[in-house]
Amino acid sequence: MRRAAPLTAAVAGLALLAACSTGEPVDMGEGTGSGAEGGGQTLHVAIGGEPDQLDPNKTSSYFSFQVLENVYDTLVETDANLEMQPALAESWDISDDQLTWTFHLREGVTFHDGSEFTSEDVVYSYNRIIDEELSNAWKFTAIEDIAAPDDLTVEITLSQPTPNLLSNLGGFKGMAIVDQANVESDEITTAPVGTGPFSFEEWTSGDHITLTANPDYWGGAPEIAGVEFQFISEPSTALAALQSGEVQWTDVIPPQQVERLQGEDQIELGVAPSSDYWYLALNEANEPWDDVRARQAIAYAIDREAIIQAVSYGNAAANQLAIPEQSIWYSEYSTYSTDLDKAQELLDEAGVTGGTIDFMATTEYPETVTAAQIIASNLEPLGIDVEIRQPDFSTWLDEQNSGSFDLLMMGWLGNIDPDDFYYNQHHTDGTSNAQGYSNPEVDQLLEDARTETDQDARYDLYAEAATIIADEASYIYLYNPSVIQAWTPELAGYEVMPDRAIRFRDVQLMEG
Amino acid sequence: MRGSPRALLVFLGRRLVYSAVVLLGVMVVTFAIVQLVPGDPIRLALGTRYNAEAYQALLEASGLDRPLPEQFFSYIAGALTGDLGVSFRSGQPVTVLLLERLPATVSLAVVGIGLALLIALPAGIWAGLREGRVADAIVRVTSQFGVSVPDFWMGLLLITLFSGILGWLPSSGYTPLAEDPGGWARQVVLPALTVGLVAAAILTRYVRAAVLEVAHSGFVRTAKSKGLSPKVVTMRHVVRNALVPVLTIVGIQLATIASGVIVVEVVFAWPGLGRLVYEAVAARDYAMIQGAVLLIAAMFLLINLIVDVCYALVDPRIRLS
Repeated sequence: MRRAAPLTAAVAGLALLAACSTGEPVDMGEGTGSGAEGGGQTLHVAIGGEPDQLDPNKTSSYFSFQVLENVYDTLVETDANLEMQPALAESWDISDDQLTWTFHLREGVTFHDGSEFTSEDVVYSYNRIIDEELSNAWKFTAIEDIAAPDDLTVEITLSQPTPNLLSNLGGFKGMAIVDQANVESDEITTAPVGTGPFSFEEWTSGDHITLTANPDYWGGAPEIAGVEFQFISEPSTALAALQSGEVQWTDVIPPQQVERLQGEDQIELGVAPSSDYWYLALNEANEPWDDVRARQAIAYAIDREAIIQAVSYGNAAANQLAIPEQSIWYSEYSTYSTDLDKAQELLDEAGVTGGTIDFMATTEYPETVTAAQIIASNLEPLGIDVEIRQPDFSTWLDEQNSGSFDLLMMGWLGNIDPDDFYYNQHHTDGTSNAQGYSNPEVDQLLEDARTETDQDARYDLYAEAATIIADEASYIYLYNPSVIQAWTPELAGYEVMPDRAIRFRDVQLMEG
Repeated sequence: MRGSPRALLVFLGRRLVYSAVVLLGVMVVTFAIVQLVPGDPIRLALGTRYNAEAYQALLEASGLDRPLPEQFFSYIAGALTGDLGVSFRSGQPVTVLLLERLPATVSLAVVGIGLALLIALPAGIWAGLREGRVADAIVRVTSQFGVSVPDFWMGLLLITLFSGILGWLPSSGYTPLAEDPGGWARQVVLPALTVGLVAAAILTRYVRAAVLEVAHSGFVRTAKSKGLSPKVVTMRHVVRNALVPVLTIVGIQLATIASGVIVVEVVFAWPGLGRLVYEAVAARDYAMIQGAVLLIAAMFLLINLIVDVCYALVDPRIRLS
């Protein structure tokens, strides 16, 4: 047995080492102060997963954008009401014919590598998205030319008036202005260089990403020394980390915990309405769902409140249209109520006598599975048998595209301008019109709204289109979920954003 | 054979050739299986806002539009030089991503098995030597409990106790050993304890059974009748011989933990192989899945080899041939 002794000793030593340090308090993450002036503390936050990559123009992962929101800038950016505000562009002029937009850039802005930010960087970034046909290239379809007449001016020429150009350019960090050298060295995927309030410091695979405050940030150097994003997908672990002070902010919070956390005085809870929406879509290529009455019957049969309770424990606002009440684009609509008699009547008119519905849910978005069960019981009294399928998400996407479903539930997230979603989802030629809805009147309204530059007139066009869309149940809109985030009382100055953008540039960390 | 280094070399050489054949087989099978799994990685990467132009551009950029035989041979050719391709999801080399996860994975496996042995060896031997008595019953019931407890629940329990209530240990995260040994140790304790307790429960039962079997065998009776002290009989004859079957189980447990204990890794936000593989499968990141499976297969082979060498060291009757 002598041979085993060294192993046993080593293991015992390890255990001892671990045991020795167990009496010490947990490392609360005192500021490293690396590179930052003022010596503030580093903010530790827990996000629900690891970014796939850090190239803002290429990634589609929300985890990436949580980090990149703090590293990059766009020409313009959203505020807490989702209206567009100056960022890298200080101001802009629009020509009388609405076809030329001239952006005046902020002076003295530098990238994190010290190089100067100029109009050429804007031209390069936008052309990169267009030329490489990256997934956001569609936002530029109306753009004919992007020019840089001088270092601080960018001129964008359009083929048609585009009133939502600003939200296309600054709605999220997918449209960030990148550094050409950083792209060409391929380092952008793992070590991005931006102009934002924090610069990239390190990425430890599977564990964390660290950002350092940018002392030269055009909006003023952040007060904290930096941000460390830890990847914690298990909510219980994230909450334990928050409660023990290992992290000071997290959004990894299951909705069923909200009520309990509201009573805790060591945790600040931020629950705010989001601009996301969830909907049902009936495949109009399949009978009887080509009949508007059959679709309306489903809209009358479902119980939104029950669905909201089941999927989010009440942390969502029921809505029969896409846009939440807080938005400038909100219009009221309340045609449907849970009314089984009305639903039966409509089914009778449409000549539908029971049958089965193929409901395509996906475990990628567990709310679709939960809601499917509620909807199945909602439709049962009508003699409709809901068969719930849960393919993996890539199969789901395939089948949505090929139209192999009767009913599906999905959400659109981070919405800002109505053109982004109404046109794509309900125009006859919309890229996401999987349900196959087609109404020339709606098409016309959406086309007009796309180029209408008078804000009030544009609002009216969308309100009208939305009403028809809901009346004809192209989509049966369900609810707008809440953004749920929590932080410790030491964190001050943090604001929850309805598009889930996470900005730490203005926060302070008080002595705990 | 014990004294012959030449026999050892021949043995190792033969095993190396055998391992290479197995690994080649693993590569062929994973390449085929990955292609058969339904789900299109490009569509997944584009999400709900799909459009045909972006799809085509991404398909060409990823190289997934090349003919399958071409993809396969470039995969094999690359693997021979240590290049396992580029992860579609992150744009980084698979080899780099795997090597980044290796230290955390090995830390968890080694410390976890260490803790398991620390518990299982004394407990199993103790119970085995006291068959049918109270001590035996206690060990058997406790280990049954350990086998039955789901590891995620055990992990959450440990977090609640040591991190939440007592505040002694961090709930999650990982620090490389070389960077800060103290931080590494504090963070490895809870996840290692979680996998260790489960492994200990399994190992204890094997140790107990092995000890029982050896204790009833003829040579032990002979040793006792020769008048050797019980201590010498236990240590030199019973325990040593009982270790042989136990080694196999230790090897399997070690390899299992090293190849990723996804639930424990998720609960403790531990940057191990398990989460990497899970995320790669979810995104249909073909190169990443193939590379990870290859690495896991290689680890199994290596651990098996070590176990086989250990057999010979523990039991002179076993020859390396």
